[in-house]
Amino acid sequence: MKRKLRVLIGKVGLDGHDVGARLVARSLSDAGMEVVYTGLRQTPEQIVMAAIEESVDLIGISILSGSHMILLAEIISLLQKHEASDIPIIAGGIIPAEDIPELKEMGVREIFLPETPMTEIIEHVRTIAHGI
Amino acid sequence: MGDNEGLGKLKNLTRTWEKDCLEPWLRQFPERRKHFHTDVGLPVARLYTPVNLSELGFDYERDLGLPGCYPFTRGIDPTMYRSKPWIIRAYSGFGDPKICNERYKRLVEWGADEISMAVDLPTQVGYDSDHIMAKGEVGKVGVAIDTLRDMETLFEDIPLNTLKRVSVLGNSFGPIALALFIALGEKQGLRPSDFVVDLQNDVLKEYVARGTYIIPIRPSVRVATDVVGYCARNAPHWYPMTFCANHINAAGAGSSKAVAFALANGLCYIEHLIEKGYGIDEIAPLFTVFCDERTDFFVAICNFRATRRVWATIMKERFKAQDPRSLALKICAYSHGGETLLEPINNIARLTLAALAYVLGGVQFLSNASYDEVLGTPTEDAAKISIRIQQILAHELGIANTVDPLGGSYFVESLTTQIENQIFQELQRVEEEGGAIAAIESGYYVSQISNGAMRRKREFDKGERPAVGVTKFRSESKIPTGAFRIDPTVEAKQVERLTAIRKERNGKAVREALEYFREVAKGDGNLVPPALEAIRAYATIGEICDVLRDEFGEYQAREYFSKKGY
Repeated sequence: MKRKLRVLIGKVGLDGHDVGARLVARSLSDAGMEVVYTGLRQTPEQIVMAAIEESVDLIGISILSGSHMILLAEIISLLQKHEASDIPIIAGGIIPAEDIPELKEMGVREIFLPETPMTEIIEHVRTIAHGI
Repeated sequence: MGDNEGLGKLKNLTRTWEKDCLEPWLRQFPERRKHFHTDVGLPVARLYTPVNLSELGFDYERDLGLPGCYPFTRGIDPTMYRSKPWIIRAYSGFGDPKICNERYKRLVEWGADEISMAVDLPTQVGYDSDHIMAKGEVGKVGVAIDTLRDMETLFEDIPLNTLKRVSVLGNSFGPIALALFIALGEKQGLRPSDFVVDLQNDVLKEYVARGTYIIPIRPSVRVATDVVGYCARNAPHWYPMTFCANHINAAGAGSSKAVAFALANGLCYIEHLIEKGYGIDEIAPLFTVFCDERTDFFVAICNFRATRRVWATIMKERFKAQDPRSLALKICAYSHGGETLLEPINNIARLTLAALAYVLGGVQFLSNASYDEVLGTPTEDAAKISIRIQQILAHELGIANTVDPLGGSYFVESLTTQIENQIFQELQRVEEEGGAIAAIESGYYVSQISNGAMRRKREFDKGERPAVGVTKFRSESKIPTGAFRIDPTVEAKQVERLTAIRKERNGKAVREALEYFREVAKGDGNLVPPALEAIRAYATIGEICDVLRDEFGEYQAREYFSKKGY
């Protein structure tokens, strides 16, 4: 039998709004994935180390504080440094639409804005994590 | 006797109406839904009449009384907005203190009564702007404050006594937040009696719904209540504690549970203060509540009315409070919650109606979100509209011309009583759990919040919670652009300012003040006086919070998420 997908849902930086992160974590778990939820206030380093140690198939980052550019860039560069760039990364939260092209350029595979249906997030996670 | 006769007649009349009028109508025009219900799980009936009130055991004198009198259902003052309109507060802050000062001056010019400082996340969790964890966060979501010097800049040309109130959240370091205002007042030549400070300072909800905690739960309660104790004896006209239903509801609990949890948290602070020797009538008037209901107009109105009644009952019956000011709970609220990212201009309508509900519920302190807040920090134009919405409600259309205009409505009174019952039941459930701290530690609060959030999201995705322009009547609309941008050089500039102040201040005075703070923290004295010494000496918020972290440790969140569920 195929191994269950393993996903890390992380809160990076000081942002304490975790309703969305928890909802996504619980919904992915209900959809049959193994989910590691990091809890609040993780550094980019902690996110990357946890993703490697837990050998996850995908990292999902939630940011509502406006620090997405700096913190996501740092996570991506740390993944490269630790030779773990094969782990795809997605993000969600309050992210201005204008930032999306740059984030994708940087290597964030998908960005989910408020009001995205949960089924859409689950589908994207499956597709991206399977490397399809 | 006459009443019973009247009810009997009404019941007969209703039966006839159902048969002759309603049934044929329904055959032709069936209702839109099989069940109508609210987010707090209460069904909404087709029609409310005196029969509903009688079934709920409604008693005018006991349940409503008159405004300004127990149980304060109809409002805390005899004349409400006829004498004093509610206070229009502007929750605002971004960038560095210099840039932010410009925005504050605009807010005052447009007519804001209260400035409520939004501070950035490093400030909220007690890190200086050059701390490693502050990277990328300085000046985002709020203004960066490191020392008293930043406060001086932020309020340049805005004397604190020209505002009706001035506030900051200060949830995890209340004594420092209070000290910043006392010391700023001194710089402006003002005594505490000359102005009014309002803090949120409700740390307990941070562990379940907002996340800006610093130290563990129990010492945090001491830190927070020290502020109330200090104000009770030095500035009893200030508002040092706002226990919050808002964030608990926003996170998913539903507004009745949120009030119950917030009340349980509030009672935890009160019991702590009583243990320390304060009298109930010395402290209760200093407490205010931050209520919230964002999905149902009438539930919002009734939630406020019920919350006042519940508080008055508990203060009178459990705590034997005598002073009417202890029994009359002042309510603060923030109109927001239903805003959508698509077609954001529509949010102006949503925010107006949310604010109207709060006004009809008898709010004292009201801030409005901006219609573009779903994109990020509000633009100047959007912030102005938020203030204008409130001014229109206060001065046009006659909304503020009579007390509790919906009082006596069969629907409103039925719902108020049902919500009151829900709040009491939920509060009892928390007390069976062992009270607020136990309910945080056992995961009870978080499980209730998360279940509610899942339910809301499911209902939203299924279209059962219509959002116009998003899940209903969707048209081709692009995701809006034009979010307000924080100047990317803010972080570097703020760090420069911080470095300069560290150099120019008297290092010895700072060290001594921090030592004094540490000594008091080790004992059980009040933390406000030493925090004030440290702030006056230009110690940074980070340095003072480091002492708290040293003495009490840092809070390590226990994660409740697991494969087993909650």
